[in-house]
Amino acid sequence: MDLIWESFREALALIRRFDPSVTNAAARSLWISTTAVGLAALAGLPVGTGLARHSFPGYRLVVLAFRAGMSFPTVFIGIVCYAVFSRRGPFGAMDLLYTPWLIVVGEFLLALPIVVSLTHGAVKSLDPRIGETSLTLGAGPFRRWATYLSEARVGVTLAIVMAFARCVTELGIAMMVGGNIKYRTRTLATATALETAKGEFSRGMAMGVILLAIALCVTVCIMLLSRDDARV
Amino acid sequence: MIEILNLQVTKNGKSICCVPELVINAGERVGIVGPNGCGKTTLLRVLAGLEKNYRGHCAITGPSSDRVYMHQAPYMFRGTVLFNVMYGLRVRGLDQRESELKARAWLDKLGIGHLATNRAKHLSGGEARRTALARSLAIAPKLLLLDEPLADVDDAGAGRIVHELTHFNDCAILIASPNSLPGELVTREYRFDIEATNQSMSGSA
Repeated sequence: MDLIWESFREALALIRRFDPSVTNAAARSLWISTTAVGLAALAGLPVGTGLARHSFPGYRLVVLAFRAGMSFPTVFIGIVCYAVFSRRGPFGAMDLLYTPWLIVVGEFLLALPIVVSLTHGAVKSLDPRIGETSLTLGAGPFRRWATYLSEARVGVTLAIVMAFARCVTELGIAMMVGGNIKYRTRTLATATALETAKGEFSRGMAMGVILLAIALCVTVCIMLLSRDDARV
Repeated sequence: MIEILNLQVTKNGKSICCVPELVINAGERVGIVGPNGCGKTTLLRVLAGLEKNYRGHCAITGPSSDRVYMHQAPYMFRGTVLFNVMYGLRVRGLDQRESELKARAWLDKLGIGHLATNRAKHLSGGEARRTALARSLAIAPKLLLLDEPLADVDDAGAGRIVHELTHFNDCAILIASPNSLPGELVTREYRFDIEATNQSMSGSA
């Protein structure tokens, strides 16, 4: 119990001091996850909606593949990215290994199946009258898809929140392809792991508490922004 | 405007709608009357382009954007009543101000102007039906397909609906209903021949 109390006080102290190693890692965690989830939403919302509304040969296989993708371990995504972007890999020339951008790529791959699968589920379970009403009122495909997403907003928001929660808290990708380099690729998750491994339990716990606070804050913000009772 | 010959729709091997012949001209208001399950809704859905699997001849002049179909239980989009009525206008590229003016005018005509800023999902059955009607009329269709527009609506509301529909010129209106419709609302009635549906059912079986 002492350890938890101690670390909580340490976390507060670190935040109050604006400890550069903490704020730096926290800011990096935030922008990497936000970018990755933003890109995943950009790609995943149309793909999920399209899968829910159109049938084609191999449709079930694609849906199954994305669902399976939701359970990919982060270390697996990490090692695949490592293999592909390492010097000897096919994209080695891009020289992205041990940069934050490769963490973005990895987290994008982590977030995409979540966004696609949950959006697919949410749009698939919509009332069939939505599409028909939209169609009969003259809406083109783009407007219809926007209507689907708007009507399925609770499910779609959940998809984004889930993806963000998974990305901001993940350790495997950032550790493997980022390398936990201080002031360059260190995130809150890798910092937590490092401090704990060094035996700095209270500092590690403090980092963990800050990570938890950020994850909760962003989740609540997204939920508030997309409340179902928001007007028009 | 509409020309149907030997139209037949089958689902799971059963005939669910059978129309030997039906011709409707622009400006006509036709009541589609028949007992439950005789295929009234299916006929409207075929005409709306929502039901593609049919046999027979069905020709409609004019683009599909000039047709609008109103469900038996209309769906209200998330957002306000006003948003719902503006939907078809916004789709057609009208700006916010112009479509809001038109939408409000239609809401007033149907006697639900005071509901404009209410949440559409919270409307009663009759209010939702009038909103859906306003939404359909606002886009000035040339072919209006209404599935039981007078159900759930009180007498005053029904009076307004009848008034607006009878003064909605230059548009063919088809109104499905299980019972006969008031004489001033429809210019004529098409009665579903339940025998024909049953016969083709036993014929195809």
